[in-house]
Amino acid sequence: MLSGCGEPPSTQSEKPVKVYRHAMDGAPGSLDPAQAASVYANFMVVNLYDTLYRYKYLARPYRLHPNLAADMPTISMDGLQLTIPIKKGVHFIDDPAFENGIGREVRAQDFVYSIKRHFDPKTRAQGAWLWQNRIEGLDEWKSRGSNYDNEISGLRALDDHTIQITLTRPFPQLLHTLTQGYSSVVPQEAIDLYGQQLSSHPVGSGPYQMVSRDPVRAVLARNPAFRAEPFDLQTEGFDKPTQGGLGLEILQGRVPPFTDRLELEFITEDAARWNAFSAGEVHFIKVPVSQFDSVLSGRDPLALSPQFENIYQFRASQDAGFIYTNFNMADESIGYHPDQRQNDRNRLLRCAMVKAFDWEKRNEIFFYGIGRVFPGVLPPSVPEYDANGDSGYILRDLEGARKLLQEGEWNEDNLPVLEYGFPNSVTERQIFEQFRNFMMDIGYPPEKIRPLIFATYGDYQRAYSQGKVTLINSSWTMDYPDAENNMQLYFGPNAAPGSNSSNYDNPEYNRLYRSASSLHESPERTRIYRQMNQLLINDCASITGISRTLLFLWDKQALMVPDRSFLGGYYLRFVEILDSTTVVP
Amino acid sequence: MHSVWQRLKSDHYGMGGLLVVALFALATLTVWTGLFGQGWAEVSGNSWESTSAAHWFGTNLLGQDIFQRTLFGAATAFEVGLVVTGFSTLLGAILGGLSGWYSKGWVDEIILWIKGVLDSIPFYLFAAAVAFALQGRPWAMHLAMIVTFWTTTARIVRGEVIRIRQQEFIEAARAIGLSQLTILFRHVLPNTVHILLVQATIVFVAAIKTEVILSFLGLGIQDGVSWGLMLAESSQEVLAGHFGNFIAASAALFLLLMGFNLLADALQDATDTRGAMT
Repeated sequence: MLSGCGEPPSTQSEKPVKVYRHAMDGAPGSLDPAQAASVYANFMVVNLYDTLYRYKYLARPYRLHPNLAADMPTISMDGLQLTIPIKKGVHFIDDPAFENGIGREVRAQDFVYSIKRHFDPKTRAQGAWLWQNRIEGLDEWKSRGSNYDNEISGLRALDDHTIQITLTRPFPQLLHTLTQGYSSVVPQEAIDLYGQQLSSHPVGSGPYQMVSRDPVRAVLARNPAFRAEPFDLQTEGFDKPTQGGLGLEILQGRVPPFTDRLELEFITEDAARWNAFSAGEVHFIKVPVSQFDSVLSGRDPLALSPQFENIYQFRASQDAGFIYTNFNMADESIGYHPDQRQNDRNRLLRCAMVKAFDWEKRNEIFFYGIGRVFPGVLPPSVPEYDANGDSGYILRDLEGARKLLQEGEWNEDNLPVLEYGFPNSVTERQIFEQFRNFMMDIGYPPEKIRPLIFATYGDYQRAYSQGKVTLINSSWTMDYPDAENNMQLYFGPNAAPGSNSSNYDNPEYNRLYRSASSLHESPERTRIYRQMNQLLINDCASITGISRTLLFLWDKQALMVPDRSFLGGYYLRFVEILDSTTVVP
Repeated sequence: MHSVWQRLKSDHYGMGGLLVVALFALATLTVWTGLFGQGWAEVSGNSWESTSAAHWFGTNLLGQDIFQRTLFGAATAFEVGLVVTGFSTLLGAILGGLSGWYSKGWVDEIILWIKGVLDSIPFYLFAAAVAFALQGRPWAMHLAMIVTFWTTTARIVRGEVIRIRQQEFIEAARAIGLSQLTILFRHVLPNTVHILLVQATIVFVAAIKTEVILSFLGLGIQDGVSWGLMLAESSQEVLAGHFGNFIAASAALFLLLMGFNLLADALQDATDTRGAMT
């Protein structure tokens, strides 16, 4: 097993170097915040850069907390103007990009510059959708040529430590967007010096700074100049009944980050990742599904096998998002059709396929039977989830499916050829074969459901974003803990190449979405969202969905509460590695 | 040809290899004629069932029958082997023949240059790159192999053609006014059949191996099953203690490759006339 402290001191008097080793199941691409599109990139970016807000480490449901911001914003009466103070005395890391190589203070203007970058075509940014048509003057700034000398009326630095954002219409989710890696604060000097190379040469003000990175590993060291903000259990939302046994109490009053170095191992192969964890080479692992059987001794409630109980901490977490198979509604063979009769027949076919889908089997085979199946796009992780929702939508009913086919006058000869897209991987191929089997059970000829395989997930995403795939199997990870983030997936104007890959376009759904877009979480919004969910179900636009249960194991010498969803990489600053003499309460 | 068969018959290892290949060929025929292996995609049991009368080799994660998938994998291997061997041998024979016949001329120079360029790229890397670039197209893998496999055949045929064209019967053919291409295709290339036969068995083995490797990497067959895919599946299963896919696919691959190698060696010995001359 790992020693308590990562590496011995070079001399007797020096403190040992504390190293936290973390296994990731994928590697980040670019570390430029403007391009931090993947969960892996975001995980690292929030440790290298500062965002205005983050989520509290321990509070569930997730609650916002100032990060670089000095406080929560002051919001005008009409909800359109937010004034955000930022902390004084925060500095970027030392880097040749700055005068004399000394990191300068972070200013409000840096935030304005960082958001502008998303609207500069030269940046090839991927986060603009978060603020598109939301901030006054921002889109016009882009259409006028993205000149950084031009001011934007809705995005201003009132002084070095005050930001003012003016919205075009109420946008209750704005603060959530300011926790995203995309919104990280980048100094212009670093862009001027490194340009595209910023993707591998981060210059931020986060708790860590980059030491080295290659395709299989990244090493980050503590940023010695990171602001000293003592850890407070209550502020972070500590819940003694659920988190009391983790020993977090010893962190009270100490200043994060608690470890000197992070070693992030990118191990994509499940077996290799598990071996690395079993051999004690890393402290933490998201357990591969193939290992659930050996790791768990029971499913209800989830319990760790006795052989692991003494050496590992264990946590199960509901995935923030869901997995679905969309029908491409823009494809006339299965989606909308100008001829009303054919349009109705297509709906019957889609509904028959929904009924033929066996969620129980899908859950059992690919999610160890511990995923949560739910109808529509409101998963159990959001408050709008309806436990009494339309459960018929997720129950297999072969007889009902066959009746619908009959009603639509569908038979083996006239059923359309469907192309089922997926990126190249063993599991994705197995998921496809299982799907085809489900459909074979209602008489769909196997040769009429064809695989459309793409070399990478990026290629696949590009193809379905261009409407080139009929059956789109994918997953959605929520960007922030607000159901609006799911509802927008089926909003007509967001159709491909936007986030609405199903090209679903129901005028009533669109009207309801617009009417709820300025509402905060409330009973009224819940009612509207559930109504929208039912519309989606009635139209059988998607076979959805399942929310995975993730299992985390970590070495008992690591004090932490890992998180793969909204908190993401923010928790790394709070990880502590114990030495063998530390007594955990 | 009769003497070749006589010599082959006396080689026990070669005959053993031929028997193994024949058994796999028979299995392939049963798949192609629809007798067996048609249920390779069907879920006919539960996950990872052990061997039983219903599932001779057990089932995989989805509950598909591993025996049926192994049979279908044999058909996939033979299909790829036959197509790739046929086209690459034909291409190698024609280009090698032209290269040898017009040796030291500009046709020879061009063919040698193309061959040199293709041979300078590491074989598996090149095949994988072509398959990757054409991914999604049903014949991508076949094309990748044909493009890479013809060069060796061409090199050997070229040498043989250079040797044959100096013989007297070629002089005679020229003397009676036959055209160059007629001499090449009617009188020279038929005399390289013994080389092509041995080379074809070697290419067949290489094609099957490459198909399994490309399929393992996800660059192989699109819709169907292959031993490579079964091995890729097994990489996620062995850690959890399920070996059905691994044993079935690797044993089938081992047996077939061993059979082909024994047969290829025996054929090479049987067609080699040097032993007879000494």
